[in-house]
Parts: sequence; C-alpha cells; structure tokens
Amino acid sequence: MYILKNAWISIMRNKGRNILIGIIIIVVACSSCIALSIMNAANEIVSSYDEKYDIEATITMNRQNMLSDFNKDSSSQEENIEKFNEIEELTVEDIDNYGNSEYVSSYYYTSSVSVNSKELEPATEEIQSSTNNKFRDNMGIKNERMSTGDFTLIGYSSYSAMNDFILGTYTISEGTISEDFESDTCIINSELASINDIEIGDTITVVDPDDEDVEYELTVTGFYTDNKEETESDMNSMYSQSVNTIITNTHVIDSISEKDDSLRVSIGPTFILKNSDVVDEFSSELQEKGLNEYYQVSTNLDKIESETESIKNLSSFAIVFLIVTLIIGGVVLLVLNMINVRERKYEIGVLRTIGMKKREVILQFVSELMIVAFISLIIGASVGAVLSVPVSNKLLESEINSTENQVNQIGENFGKPNMDFNIDKNDISEVSTVEKVTSINAAVNIKVLIELLCIGLGLTLFSSISAMTSISRFSPITILKERT
Amino acid sequence: MNNVLEIKNLSYIYSDGFDYVLKNLSFSFEKGKVYAIKGKSGSGKTTLLSLISGLERYKEGSILFKGKELNDIDLDYYRSSNIGIVFQSFNLLPHLNAIENIILSMDISKVKSIDKYKMAIELLKSVGLDEEKGKRRILKLSGGEQQRVAIARSLSYNPEIIIADEPTGNLDKETEDEIMKILTDLAHKENKCVIIATHSNNIASKSDVIFEIKKSVKNKEKIA
Repeated sequence: MYILKNAWISIMRNKGRNILIGIIIIVVACSSCIALSIMNAANEIVSSYDEKYDIEATITMNRQNMLSDFNKDSSSQEENIEKFNEIEELTVEDIDNYGNSEYVSSYYYTSSVSVNSKELEPATEEIQSSTNNKFRDNMGIKNERMSTGDFTLIGYSSYSAMNDFILGTYTISEGTISEDFESDTCIINSELASINDIEIGDTITVVDPDDEDVEYELTVTGFYTDNKEETESDMNSMYSQSVNTIITNTHVIDSISEKDDSLRVSIGPTFILKNSDVVDEFSSELQEKGLNEYYQVSTNLDKIESETESIKNLSSFAIVFLIVTLIIGGVVLLVLNMINVRERKYEIGVLRTIGMKKREVILQFVSELMIVAFISLIIGASVGAVLSVPVSNKLLESEINSTENQVNQIGENFGKPNMDFNIDKNDISEVSTVEKVTSINAAVNIKVLIELLCIGLGLTLFSSISAMTSISRFSPITILKERT
Repeated sequence: MNNVLEIKNLSYIYSDGFDYVLKNLSFSFEKGKVYAIKGKSGSGKTTLLSLISGLERYKEGSILFKGKELNDIDLDYYRSSNIGIVFQSFNLLPHLNAIENIILSMDISKVKSIDKYKMAIELLKSVGLDEEKGKRRILKLSGGEQQRVAIARSLSYNPEIIIADEPTGNLDKETEDEIMKILTDLAHKENKCVIIATHSNNIASKSDVIFEIKKSVKNKEKIA
C-alpha cells in the first residue's frame, strides 16, 4: 500500500514529467480507441453480413470452358451445335444428388420452360425472357426442338426458392400464391392479366410451342407486380421485363415435361452452403458426382465480399493505423522512461540503501506509470468515444467515394457511367442481391474499452522494461558513490 | 560480552582492482558505545561501512551480526530494520519533505504504528527540529538540518546499530558538535551501537573507541 502512496506522491511532485507522459498516452489511447471502434464495428458488420446472407451456390454454364473447347479443334458450327446438344441438362435427380451433401444445409430449385398459351396474348413479342435462349441465340445455335414460346413458365420448389419475392422484386398485388407446391395453379403479371382481362380463378392453358397437342391447364390464383427498377433499355418498353413470365411450381413443369420428352426444361438449383469455407469442397464433390465439365459452381460470396469491401478496407486502415500508433507511442514512452530512470537514479539508490527491495522499487516505478496511464486512458478513451463515430463515418464516406469513383471511371471507359459490374445478367440463376454498406456505427463499447485497457496495460509494461532492467542492474552503493 | 557486530579477518578487493582495500581486519562492536573508524582518504573507511551496512557483499573473512553471517541474511531487511545509515551527503529524497522521508523509511521497514506522522515529528524533535521544519521540502533545509533529518530517519525503525559515514563532513564546527551530541546520546542513553567513519580528530575524540585503518591496522581503544 505504501508503494502506491509513494507512487502517487512522486507523480504529484513531478507533474511536468508525468503530464508529458500523460499527453503521449492520451494521444495513443484516443487514436487506439478510434481504430478499435472502427475495427470492432467493421467486424460486426462483416459478421452480420455473413449471418444475414446465406452462402448460396448455383450451377451455371461455364462459358469460358465451353467456348475454348468449341474453338480449340476448329469445329464447324454444326459440330458445335451437336456438341452443345450433347451437354446434358440438369435433372431433378441431379439436384437431389448434389443437394445430399455434408456441405449443404438446404437446397431448392426453379424450373423454367418456354411455352405458348391458348388464352393469353403476350404483352410484347420482343421480350425473350429465357436467358438460356438468349445465350443460344448469341451462340448462333438454332434447333427445331428449341422453338421459343411467347411465355416463360417458371416453377419454384418452395417459398425459399422464390428469391424475387423474398427480395421484394416481385410483390403480390392481388390474390395469393398457392401454398400447395403440387397444385396446378399459377400467378401471372398484373399487366399481362390486364391486357388479357384475366380474373383470379380463371383457367389458362399453356402449350408446347413445338407441339400444340401438349397442353396443360393452370388456375390463376394471383397477380404479381414487378418492382425492379427500370434500366435505360427498359424505358423504351411500356411493359416490365417479367410481363410474360408465368409463375407456378416445379410439379407443373415436371408434369408438362413428362407429356413431352423433347421439351427443354432449364433447372436452376440453389444450394445453401453451411459456410463460406466449404465452397471449394462442394465444387469438387459435384465434379466427383459427375457434374458436366461445362457446368460450374457459382456463389454469392464475391458479391457479399464486394459489398463489404469498403468496410474491410476501412478496417485494414484502422489496423495499420493502430499498429503504427502503438509502435510510435511505445517507442516514445520507452525512451521517456529510460530518461526518467536515469534522472531518478539517485532516488533508486537511496530507496535501495534504506532497505527497499528491488521488486518494490520496480513496483513503485511501474505503479507510477500505471496510474498516469490509467488516468490518460480514461481521458483518451473519452475523447476517442466522442470522435470515433464522426471520424469513422467520414473515413467510410471517403472510402465509398473512392471506390465509386473507380467504378464510374471504368464505366465511363465503356461509355456507361452507371454500369454495374457485379451482376452478370446472363447467369441462368442469379444469386440474391446483397445490400451495400454505407454507414458504420463505430461507437465505443465494453469490448473496445477492454481492448483499450489491455493495450494500455501492455504499452505501460513494455515501456517499463527499461525501468525494470535498470533498477535490477543498479547497485545502490555505486549510485551513491557516483553521486558523491 | 555485548557484541552486536563482529568482523573477523575481513579482506576486500574490488572486482576491477589489483590491491586489497581492506586486509585481515578484525573488530568487535558493542551496544552503548560510539566507535570511530579513522583513516585517510582512500584508506577503505567507506568500503568497510558499506560491507558492515550490507550494501556490498564480502568474499573473504566474515561479518557477524548477532552471531549470524551477514552474507547469509536478507540484506534488504537488515538495512531496513537492523541498522540505520547516515551519509555525509544525507541521501534524502528531495521530492519529499522531512516528515515524508521518515514515514517512507518506516513504511519500508514495516513499522507498525498507528500514527506514523506523530512518531516522525517526535523523532525530528529528538534531533532538534520542529514540525514546521519537518513539513519543508528537503532542499529548503540547511545542511545541518538535513543531516538531523537523516539521523531521525535512521532512528525511525529503532535499529540497534547506527552507521555514519563522515556525518559532519559537510557541516560547520558548531553543527558538527550538535550532531555528535545526538549520536553519542544515542549510544549512551539509547544503548545503540554507533559506528562513525571519520578523518576528523574532533569526532574521534568524542567517541569511545577509535579504530584507525592504515596499511597495517592499529587498534587505539580508549577507556569508555
């Protein structure tokens, strides 16, 4: 106890020296507090993104692989078409097989098929909803059995598969979606319903574009509205993109394809992976299970990571800032303590002469520094707490602006300033949209305070090393002789 | 015999030295007496006191405190409880006042006292200083006053031996006499063993026993 009392007296009688040490610790504490708050908040945001967004894996065409293979042996167009036709479509059995994996927590899928309708007139003939058909058109592949219908019939296996509704791209404007995913029901776009005077409860008949005899009746249970923001090209059309899309369940698609084996059904599976670390393992497993080499596993991992990139950059900046601050602060404090111990060599000699043990002298010197450090930490943390939120938001804003400027610059190079590089419109099954991080709440919390306390303690002990080694080396009689 | 300290065949050579500073010294010290260790500068007086006070360890011979080898006991405890050391340059802590210097010494030696402040004032009074002087910072006191504080500090834990190295070396004649009076009173009235290293004949003349350190050490014991 007397050591603490003596340490306190010593601090009060040597104010100048201790104020200097205190100012340095306040600066280090304030900077560390801001850096820790940013790191903490950034980590929370990143982990909340990990929790909020499932790691979704889909199976898409590996076009690069396909094109390089098709062009490799200078095949003719007909040969390429033949090769393309040989690529087996994914089947429901495949999806079940792939979904039965230790890396998958759940899975669902959508089936789509191009159809015509007896009752419905399409909103516009120009709209080609099937991305698969678009791709084939781009490839210059024409095939009789792949005639494009006026409508795209999309079947979902469960509510989980209905991403457009989950994300709010589509909303039910009237009626409802049937809870029975094996019923012969459908919902249609409200614009399409309006054009064709369709009422809820009406029955529509969809037919195979290549074989009018293959038909299937569906009861309309609801209308949906497409809320997707219109792009410049959409503005030219008076209808929404999805106007000719009829939404039903996978059971209906299966039933239609059973009636006509030649009908080409596109299946878009989505596998919810257990975590982001198993993506490669899952991909390898699918290859082992026989996934065609022209298919690949795509995930929304890049999308999630790209949306949290700004916050991660900010966190990295905070880490570097923290390390630099601690190194500079630590070295300055170490030097100050070395000078302090040299100045107080005589005091150490006297204390040792009158019987104070080495460890007690060390304890007193460390206690002095601890007391100064503790008071400075409180002041530094208070200032840091006030500054952390505005500073971190200012830094994030500048980081976002910097990233956006880069993207805009690239867009301008393409002549499209608002170009979105993250979404591949031609993906067969697009992964869900991820919200961009635009603000950060870097408020000081208990975790930050504990971390700050540990840093302060560590820094104090580090800078006390010189005092400890000097005191343990000093011989009292030598000090007093030097003094005399 | 009332020997509190005994030196037997003590020799000492500094680790970086070639010649012995002390060679085969044998003295005995009793309670209730003032001992003067005389010698010219560089004769080894301070070295001898450093060894006796446990500030340095010896390699040849032995120093016995109440029959126990000094090298075998906790020297920090020995310095904080069994001996009081008074230096020529006082060696007080300048950032503390006189009272705080004394209380710190009591704290180090774990003196159990309800009112250490009152005890410090009484000690200062015993060496001729009042409370007002006791509240002054050390550097605001005269050399004589500082030495009195140093003596009061050395008495704060009631040691059996007081060691003083040239205690009046920085003081005038009148103050020297006053300090000597305090030290002799401690020996004769308080039954302490007072060992003073000095080259002053005046100090030596007031002591009970004089040991003179020369190349060949002589013992000039006076009749107490």
